Amino acid sequence: MNRIKSFISQETWSPYVAGILLGIVGLLAVLLANSLLGASGAFESLAGLIGKKIAPSLFNNVYWGVDGARAMPIIRPEITWSVILLVGIFFGGTLAALSSRTFKFRFNDDAQWKRIFGPQPWKRWVIGFVGAIIVEFGSGIAGGCTSGLAISGGMLLVPAAFLFIAGFMVSGILTAMIIYRKRY
Amino acid sequence: MTEYIIALLLGVGFGFTLNKAGLTTYRNIANQFRFTDMTVLKYMMTAIAVAMIGLYTFRGLGWITFPTVPATYIVGNLIGGLIFGVGMAGAGY
Repeated sequence: MNRIKSFISQETWSPYVAGILLGIVGLLAVLLANSLLGASGAFESLAGLIGKKIAPSLFNNVYWGVDGARAMPIIRPEITWSVILLVGIFFGGTLAALSSRTFKFRFNDDAQWKRIFGPQPWKRWVIGFVGAIIVEFGSGIAGGCTSGLAISGGMLLVPAAFLFIAGFMVSGILTAMIIYRKRY
Repeated sequence: MTEYIIALLLGVGFGFTLNKAGLTTYRNIANQFRFTDMTVLKYMMTAIAVAMIGLYTFRGLGWITFPTVPATYIVGNLIGGLIFGVGMAGAGY
């Protein structure tokens, strides 16, 4: 019992241990709910839900569904399974941080980030915001993110997953090279 | 309702392992693209391998049928991935 406790309170686990546990979570998702883990789709569902309320004509399209059409939209603008999963992810991360006593409101405290971009928190916020838009846009085109497409697709041996992984590794390496220059 | 409780619990499991693997910090994501820290790939590939073994075993036993798999459209998947990587390496999420 004490060993379990001390294991849980560790700040970081071996990525292999964490990966095995995620694999089990992914397996349970199929077994219990016949669903795949995914995060990016949930944001699109929420965006569609809000968009249909404030600008119905703009969001009345093939992507989020045309009013009265029988065809299923690509993204359902409602509280889907994935949205609930996303809420769970938030609480899971919070719980994990609490368990290792590393929970803290951080604005910009990553030493490596500061070395590259400077100490100003607003830069972190702006780059984070723009990066998140790019990430969500990319996953919208690809049909999923690292969890919904790469991991969930990979475990079903879907070719799309491996194309996506190749894609984000290539552009990620190039982006890192441009950002880090000589320090790469 | 049960489905939503399952989703919530699985989400908690997902978020918990993400945090414990250290993937909620900028440095670990960014350093994957500099190959000074392989956490992202170790975590991802382990999860894929474990789930894959389980899924194909369970399907072989007839316990599950696979859900609708993500669609493959080569150009879209690749271009989406290329755009995704820019944001991932830049913001570190």
